[in-house]
Amino acid sequence: MSGFFGPLDAEGRVPPHQQTRVAAFLMSAHGALARQFAYTLPTTLDSAWQTELNAQFYRETELVTLLLRATSWVPDPGLGYMAVTWESAWYPVPIHEISDWHLAVAAGLATLAHAVHAGIRPAALLPVEANPDDPFVAALRRIEFESGRLLQAQILLLKGSSLVPHRDVVNAALERRHSEVRKLWGNMLQSVGVALGDSNDEKP
Amino acid sequence: MKIAAVKRQPVVAMPFLNHGSYRIRYELEGRPDAPAYVLVNGLTQYAELWAAYREALVARHFRVATFDLLGQGGSDKPALFINQDDQITALHRLIGELGDGPIFLSGISFGGLIALRYAIEHGKRLSGLVPMSCFAELSPQLLLIGNALRTGLILGGTGYLQDLLLPMNLSDQWLKPLLDKLDSVKRQGWLVNDLYALQNLMESFLDFQPLTPQLSSITVPTMILNGEFDFLTPRVLHETLRVEIPSSSLVIIPKAYHAFTLEKGALTADLLARFAEDVLAGRWRGDKAVFVAPEEPGGELTPFPLGYDHLRAIPVQRAST
Repeated sequence: MSGFFGPLDAEGRVPPHQQTRVAAFLMSAHGALARQFAYTLPTTLDSAWQTELNAQFYRETELVTLLLRATSWVPDPGLGYMAVTWESAWYPVPIHEISDWHLAVAAGLATLAHAVHAGIRPAALLPVEANPDDPFVAALRRIEFESGRLLQAQILLLKGSSLVPHRDVVNAALERRHSEVRKLWGNMLQSVGVALGDSNDEKP
Repeated sequence: MKIAAVKRQPVVAMPFLNHGSYRIRYELEGRPDAPAYVLVNGLTQYAELWAAYREALVARHFRVATFDLLGQGGSDKPALFINQDDQITALHRLIGELGDGPIFLSGISFGGLIALRYAIEHGKRLSGLVPMSCFAELSPQLLLIGNALRTGLILGGTGYLQDLLLPMNLSDQWLKPLLDKLDSVKRQGWLVNDLYALQNLMESFLDFQPLTPQLSSITVPTMILNGEFDFLTPRVLHETLRVEIPSSSLVIIPKAYHAFTLEKGALTADLLARFAEDVLAGRWRGDKAVFVAPEEPGGELTPFPLGYDHLRAIPVQRAST
C-alpha cells in the first residue's frame, strides 16, 4: 500500500484503473453537489449571496465534465456497487436542530460541500514524478485548487452570523460529514492500493 | 540544517494525546529523567522540522518533546474552528506527560505566541521560556500582513502562501542554492497541511487580544530570540517582551530572518541548550540585557554596544531617558 498513486507508467501517468475509480468517486461527489446547488438555485436571483450559489453550481459542473474528458477510462466491474454507496452518502441531510427549515437545508448542504472541498485532496496523492502535462494529473490539480476557493462560500455560511446560535450542532454535523466523506474517500483509495496518511482517519 | 524531506514520510506509529475528541500527535526523545525541552511549531510547520534540534539537544542531555498543533500535520484538524485556548490545553497535556523535572518551553512565531500564553497561564510549571520570532500584539503592520497572507491562502492555496513566506522569512544565502528546487522544499509542508486547517489557525487571531498587559506575570527566566533582519515580526515586537517580562534578555541572531530556526538550526539549538544549562546551574541572569548572538555555535554572546539603540537598523545613539 502506497501513500501515492502509482506505479506511474513511463510517461508519468497514473494507472488507468486508479484514474477510473478516482474520477468516478470525484464525479459522484461533485456531481451530487452540482445537483443540490441546482435545486437550491432560484430562476431569478433576488439576493447578492445567490450569485455565489450560481458560481458553485457551474464550477461543480465544470469539475465533472473536466474529469469526464481528462480520465483514461477502463472497465471496472466494482464501480456499480461502490457508486450506489457513494450516491446514498451524498443524500441531503438538513440540520434538524435548526428550526428555520431553509437555513437547516442550506447548512446541511454546506457541511457536505465543506467536507468534499476541504477533506478531499486528490493532487496530494500525485507522486513528484507525475507528468504535469498529463490531462488527468492537471485535472486533479485543478480540482484541488478550485476546491480551496469553492470552500470559502461554505466557510462564510457556516461561520456566519446566521448560524452563530447553532454553532454546536453545526460543528457536530460538519465533523460528522467530514468523517463520512473521508471514510468513503479512504476506502475507495484503499481499493486501488493507496493509503491515506491522514491522522483524522487513523484513530485507534 | 537539512531542508524538509522531499517525499512524504513513511507512516509510522506515533503516540497521540487526547484532547476532547481530538488527538495531538507528539514525539518524545531522550532520557525520561532529563530536563525537557518542548518545541512549538510555527504556523505552516510540522514536528519533523525539529529533527535536528532533537538530535542536538538529546546529545546535550535534554529530553525533547515535539508535536503538531491542533490543525497541523499529523494532529487532528478541527473542521471549522480552532481556538487558541485549545492549543494551550493540549500543550499542557503534553507537558503533563513529561513528569516533574525541569521544563523549558520554546516556540517560533505562532508557536512562540502559544508558548507565551502557556507561560502566562502555567508559568509555575516552567523552568525557562524561549520565544522566537514572536509577538505579544498585532501591530498595524503585522495585522495587515496577516490579513494579506490569509487572502493569499484563500485565493492561491497553500502553495501560494508558502511562495510568499519563503522569500519573506529566509535569506538569499539559504534560498540561492535552492532556487531550482523550491517545489521540493515546499512539498512536505504542502502535503501535511490542509488549506482549511491553516485558514482556521489564521482565523484563530480574529478575536485575539494583546498579551502585553499580562507579560509581567511571566516570572520564569526568558530568552527572547529575534533575527537581525526579521521582516514579519521586527525587533520592536520583541522589545515589548523584553521590557515587560521581568527576568528576560533579548538575543539578536545576526544575519537572520523570521525563520532562523530553519536556517540556523545548529546555532539556535546551541543557544537553547546553553540557556537551559545556565538556568539549571544558576548562572543565568535575566536583567533585560540585549545581546548579539555569535554567528557560529559555541561562540560568545556579545552585549549590544553600550549607548546605541538596538531598535534601529543604523548606529544611532540611544536617547537618554
